[in-house]
Amino acid sequence: MTPPTFLVVDDSKLHHQMYGLVFNKGELSGSRVIHAYNGREGFALYSTHPEIVMVFLDLNMPEMNGLEFLAKRRETGLRPETPIVLVTTEDSPDDEARGLAAGAWAYLRKPFTPAQLLALVAKAGAGNGAPGAR
Amino acid sequence: MSAQENPFGDLIREYVAECLPLAEAVLERCLRLERFWDHGEPGDELLLPLKGELHTLKGNSAMMGLTALQGLAHGLEDLCGKLTLQPQLRASAGSLLVRGAGLLVDLIREAETAPATGSEADSYLAEARQFLESSETITERRTDDRRTTQRRTTRDVGEIGRDGAITTLRVDSARLDSLLEAFGEVMIAQAGMRETMRALAPWRRSVGEVANLELSSLALEKTLKRLEGALMQTRLVPIASVFGRFNRLVRDLAQDREKKVRLEVAGGETRLDKTVIDRLSEPLVHLVTNAVIHGIESAAERAQSGKPPEARITLAARQQSDRVLLTVEDDGRGLDPDRILMKARALGVAPTSESPSLEEIYALAFLPGLSTEDQVSSLSGRGVGLDVVARSIRALGGMVQVTSQPGRGTTFVLRLPLTVAVLPSLLVSVGQERYALPLSDVAETVRMAPDMIHEVAKRGMVLWRGAVIPVSDAGQVLGLGGQPRGRRYCVVLRSAARHRGLLVDRLLGHEEVVVKALDPVLGRPPGVSAATILGDGKVACILDTVRLADLHGAELSASRH
Repeated sequence: MTPPTFLVVDDSKLHHQMYGLVFNKGELSGSRVIHAYNGREGFALYSTHPEIVMVFLDLNMPEMNGLEFLAKRRETGLRPETPIVLVTTEDSPDDEARGLAAGAWAYLRKPFTPAQLLALVAKAGAGNGAPGAR
Repeated sequence: MSAQENPFGDLIREYVAECLPLAEAVLERCLRLERFWDHGEPGDELLLPLKGELHTLKGNSAMMGLTALQGLAHGLEDLCGKLTLQPQLRASAGSLLVRGAGLLVDLIREAETAPATGSEADSYLAEARQFLESSETITERRTDDRRTTQRRTTRDVGEIGRDGAITTLRVDSARLDSLLEAFGEVMIAQAGMRETMRALAPWRRSVGEVANLELSSLALEKTLKRLEGALMQTRLVPIASVFGRFNRLVRDLAQDREKKVRLEVAGGETRLDKTVIDRLSEPLVHLVTNAVIHGIESAAERAQSGKPPEARITLAARQQSDRVLLTVEDDGRGLDPDRILMKARALGVAPTSESPSLEEIYALAFLPGLSTEDQVSSLSGRGVGLDVVARSIRALGGMVQVTSQPGRGTTFVLRLPLTVAVLPSLLVSVGQERYALPLSDVAETVRMAPDMIHEVAKRGMVLWRGAVIPVSDAGQVLGLGGQPRGRRYCVVLRSAARHRGLLVDRLLGHEEVVVKALDPVLGRPPGVSAATILGDGKVACILDTVRLADLHGAELSASRH
């Protein structure tokens, strides 16, 4: 079984470290995380790494935000089955709705716990390296 | 919930590392906004990024379970939102916003050691709510969807290279210190090797291996020199981290004194050793506080002398070879040389020359008890004079000077070493002991003859460059005994205002010594600041010339014969 590869797109280094804590522990330990610090960089990595099984995408970012990232994927039609989780805050319900409409598989509100993150990974069936939602 | 119980609690340091600079940027922006609003400018271009930064701070604090900080950031974000929509509120909101941002900085700075309990944040939020409610009743609400949906588009990604690789690492400074300590040991071993090589020199021609060994030793020495430089670089921190604190200080002080003061900062990217940076903040605070309170005139006084109502204080830094030059400049009333001289004469510390130069007079300001007039008494009630500033700068191996143009302003120039870990020194011997004197304190060395020491008012004096300077005997001061008149050299030391001589037996040469702190168990012998290990593995004390100067008079008069 090949360990799964995740893409995390967030402009906060702290958040990358948080994802790292979750992805390097327990059943997900050994999984690979690709880090991007803005949407543009994230999309470039998304398009060049087909092994990515799941994406965690921050909503508010410089140089292409989460919604723009989703629009770009729809526009290019690049692996639409790969689940993208839009990471939001409690005060942006409009953006969550827009995100789902733009092709996000789910949204995750900050503050989230490792358990919530793991539950989403399990739900997407991404933990064993199989891309795409069941 | 405290950060410790949070699943990400272990990342608290990373949180502070990321959020503190961000919060400081928020504070900076709020200060600028306040100035804009004071001048009736809208400042919209600052409000939008401000909201974005507050949003990030809110999200990060929430993830860490720091609810007080999350709430505060949220409240400030809200406040900014309201101010975006209701420009008419801005003129009266500046100080509220700045205080909130200041609280944010403080709470984040303390997040690791003393997590906020929430009471401070709560009372601030209540105040902010009250402000908005009271203004709501008198202003009609307007909405502008276009503005609220705009979001931040740029932010410094800083430490991450373009290819996504991490280009900057954060390292615990204790690890760097241990690295430096190990390096110090290597340097000592190397110095020992150099001495052995010297002893082997006669065999260089006859034994090929000796010549080879010498070549390797030289190559090693060169590499070590490079390593030293690289190691020192890792300890250098931009001075902006110190400068950043002054906006608020100046603003609060000026407001308190009903003055208008603009702080200008230049060269924040200049780097200095972490230890220097840590110990620099206090003297700088004194100088800046002094400038606002005493240097800058009242609004009325400024108007009378035709100066712009808004005064200016400039903090600037730049590197000059292996030193950093820091200037604290104000455009206030300047120093009064006559008054300083009068006071110095009253205290009996005036220069001996008939008509001292301005430079000599200004140097007197750093003597204890001489910071002019009300300065000492009213400096935030702390009774701190310029002598304390001079002392702490000199303790760092630096120098401070002041120049002034009466009526035009005052400029303090601080010259600081890039590092305090390695000290360029003059090695001297007194009896059987060797001592290191910081080279920055040494003005000159003079070959002595017994009849060169004169007694004036029971104190030893020597004539140096046309001036009479007091001398003391290192043997007496350091408790080693010996005869002052038997010493062969006088090291002329720069001190705050006047030079002083120190009599020693021999000059052993210049050496860059690795500074080792004294074990507190040993206490602090008088006149000694630290220790070092010399090439032969023996310990030598590094002399504290400032304290040495204090020990002077009494010791020498006791040594008369």
